[in-house]
Amino acid sequence: MSSPVASAAPATFAPLATQIRVALAGNPNSGKTSLFNALTGAHQHVANYPGVTVERRTGTCKIDHLTVNVADLPGTYSLSSLSPDERVAQDELTAAPDVVVVVADSTQLERNLVLLAQIMQTGANPVLCLNMADEAREAGQKLDLPLMEELLGFPVVETVGHRGQGVAKLKSAIATAASRPVRAGSRLVLGETMDRALAAIRPLLPKEGEPIFRSDWMATRLLAGDREYTERVAAMPSGREASAEAERQRARLEAHTRVDIAVFVTERYFGFVDGLLREVRTAASRVDARQLTDRIDAILVHRLLGLPIFALVMYAIFWLTFTVGEAPMNWIEAGVHFLSVHLGALWPEGSTSLLRSLLLDGILGGVGGVIVFLPNIVLLFAGLAFLEDTGYMARAAFLTDRLMHRFGLHGKSFIPMLSGFGCSVPGIMATRTLENPRDRLVTMLVLPLMSCGARLTIWMLLIPAFFPPAWRAPMLWFIYAVGIALALVLARVLRKTLLRGDDAPFVMELPPYRLPTLRSVLLKLSERAGLYLRRAGTTILGISILLWAATAFPKPTSYRVDREVAALPAGASGPTRHPPPPLASLPPSTATTTMARRLSEQELARKRAAEDLEYSVAGRIGHSLEPLFRPLGFDWKILTAMIGAFATKEVFVAQMGIVYSIADGEKGTEGLRAILARDYGPLVGLSMMLFLLIATPCMATVVVTRRESGKWRYALLQLVGLTGIGYGLSLLVYQVGRMFI
Amino acid sequence: MPQSATSVSDTEISSSLEDYLETIYLLVQEQGFARVKDVARERDVKAASVSIALRRLAEMDLVRYERREYIALTPEGEKAGRRVFSRHRLLTRFFQEVLNMPAPAASEQACAMEHSLTDEAMDGMARFFEFLGTCPSVIESFRVCPAISGRKPGAHGEHLPEWCSVCAKKKGASTMSLADVKPGRRAVVTKISAGGALRQRLLDMGVLPETTIDIERVGLGGDPFWVRCQGARLALRRSEAQSILVRAGEAAAK
Repeated sequence: MSSPVASAAPATFAPLATQIRVALAGNPNSGKTSLFNALTGAHQHVANYPGVTVERRTGTCKIDHLTVNVADLPGTYSLSSLSPDERVAQDELTAAPDVVVVVADSTQLERNLVLLAQIMQTGANPVLCLNMADEAREAGQKLDLPLMEELLGFPVVETVGHRGQGVAKLKSAIATAASRPVRAGSRLVLGETMDRALAAIRPLLPKEGEPIFRSDWMATRLLAGDREYTERVAAMPSGREASAEAERQRARLEAHTRVDIAVFVTERYFGFVDGLLREVRTAASRVDARQLTDRIDAILVHRLLGLPIFALVMYAIFWLTFTVGEAPMNWIEAGVHFLSVHLGALWPEGSTSLLRSLLLDGILGGVGGVIVFLPNIVLLFAGLAFLEDTGYMARAAFLTDRLMHRFGLHGKSFIPMLSGFGCSVPGIMATRTLENPRDRLVTMLVLPLMSCGARLTIWMLLIPAFFPPAWRAPMLWFIYAVGIALALVLARVLRKTLLRGDDAPFVMELPPYRLPTLRSVLLKLSERAGLYLRRAGTTILGISILLWAATAFPKPTSYRVDREVAALPAGASGPTRHPPPPLASLPPSTATTTMARRLSEQELARKRAAEDLEYSVAGRIGHSLEPLFRPLGFDWKILTAMIGAFATKEVFVAQMGIVYSIADGEKGTEGLRAILARDYGPLVGLSMMLFLLIATPCMATVVVTRRESGKWRYALLQLVGLTGIGYGLSLLVYQVGRMFI
Repeated sequence: MPQSATSVSDTEISSSLEDYLETIYLLVQEQGFARVKDVARERDVKAASVSIALRRLAEMDLVRYERREYIALTPEGEKAGRRVFSRHRLLTRFFQEVLNMPAPAASEQACAMEHSLTDEAMDGMARFFEFLGTCPSVIESFRVCPAISGRKPGAHGEHLPEWCSVCAKKKGASTMSLADVKPGRRAVVTKISAGGALRQRLLDMGVLPETTIDIERVGLGGDPFWVRCQGARLALRRSEAQSILVRAGEAAAK
């Protein structure tokens, strides 16, 4: 194009600024993130863009005296559409970074350089980074880099991101580009027809707004009839003519070429890349270079073997997660226990100090219960990161899409949902692989229905308590099956109602297999684990304290059990030197008549704890909720335990123990089962299990849903919706069941 | 002709007169005669209004009419009446049979349009219906056309695909969709009939007219498709493959 400023040297020379902003753009799977890691090292920060579920990665690095703030844009194939990822990339480019590094997969330049052409059009100051140069060289591709630089007019660097090769050269290229900015768009050749159309629109582009509004890219967007930008430009005082002219040019072009404008524009970009490559590529890659991936795929995505192999791979990851994770889990448990014993020892034996209770039961109990899962989560993430980095994840999506699509989900929903059997939290975090926000949200919302590991401890308590041995395995299978079936049905319902809309395009690239580097897997891991710990340290800590307070306050002024003991005739008791005599009885009516049994201090304390709980806010809530939950067969004791289970699910077991003042340990579980079997029938057991499965995902799930969806609205929808469904289903089962029993 | 001055009322009068002519024509066809009270009943107007209209029609030499007597159509009048009625019938059929509208709504819409239809348009429509009579499968394929069905109401003319995959298939082996290509075969893209986000996505991935696509494998149960295009492996659903029109290429080099 013949803009007057063309290749004229910029007037401003060598910026005195010591800080520059660099954006990293590139196709998905171009190795952009590993390059970003190589550039910034550990100095990075991950957050979500406001309002959308797109990750924003930023980091800093030093080039001589220059501080470089690097933003890693989401991987995009183009800047032509308005998917959330591309919108974010466009917004970042609109903010006019000093240098835009375009990362391209050297083995797929035909498609990868299309993005370069578009970025050149935006008026950016680019550096082209040909990543994975080693693979391309091995395949036999030869590029004339000096010629390429000459033709493009900006630095071109070859790198191997995951090995850190060429990163020093890239850094100096960035510094060079920052000191000598160029208008790269002037080197772009898109053909006479296109250039004439752009030249007609260019002078009419709006004078206000960011510089990008005066770029050829904007003119192209208008020419292509991009609704969003046409409206935005038309709304600007001096922009109306531009959109009108663009429409004229579009009509003229379509009549002239008889080709749809979107096809025409895209063909021009591909044409430019083709022309460039024809000049600079002295040797093309041989076809056999991609045979390794093809050979692996012949087995891994085999028509019949594909799914069994996938099942095996997932089984291996779960096996690793739970067997290898067991040891560190025990260490953490031991650590928490050690800490609580030593902290507890600071107070005298039998102390009822509030601070002690807060530290031990509230903070250590709540947060400790969440941190215990850290090894599982880390291992699960290591497995998933490995699958993702090798490129197998996309194959898994290919294998499972047919099934998932039936329920309004995406092939990529499968693995996160599977991870939900371990723990909902990593499952929800793993939904990041889903590009379409609607698919992602649906997956996230139904994911807690996958019965997680913490709930397994509940099933282990309840199923033997209520069902004869022959029924136990089928019941466990049944409860998992109910969760899966409900998740699938609910996903379908959500896609038909609240999250209605056409399917997002499935069209997905299957990247070549690559061996991930330890470094990239570790970085991903530490990032996820850090996120999990930060959550445990902030929100979850807060909620733990709240829940603790609810189970600890208010305190009764005196205990029934003490009064009962005191009411005993003195003769039946032993020496009563201590204010609460170490004696108790069976219920008062019989107490006076039968011989009093000696109660140990411990038993007395447990009975007091049970009364404490009953008297507390949680107990009162349990009591006051009882009328509402009577039709489900629940009494206040179950409800109180369920309030505790909101912290983490397995707390339900402990809370039930407290309510019934049963001692901890293996015997305690047996005792608890006996009492449960005595007090409630199997029907209440089933109703309870359904409610615990479906209703009230734990607080960590709610918090992580809030974080990953970006809105409290969705977390609350999940909480309220699932609780409602759980209530309804338990009600139905209990009421219908009662007719038959 | 003694008519009011403005052209607007001119057309108004002639529309309503046309309605009268149509009514009289129908009454004569059905019962062999037409009286003022019959016409008033059919058109739901007062007898006096009918008389005024009849006087105008008589002035135009379309009816013969004496007070309190039977109304007779002149040969020109009968021709005009028949023409109005056949326009009405054609339009009603169009709305009912082609657009699948309920009968009362179709008739109402026809009444609103029948006066503005020119003879040329009417002839064309008549020919079209004759064609539909000889080729009823056309309406059927319109109803099930994948390019049109599922379109949201109110989205008019946003993107008109030239061929849907079904029609393309009928066109013969030279144009079929990617979904018809067997694994291991090669095809050349001729057209992308998808619209919206899918179209742009396919274009961005390099699925452009005249590019070659190798179909490498198809998932269990025929979905999704696994293809190679511009050196990249892509997975797409069958429904998406159907929107890519192709012609057969030579068998993929193994």
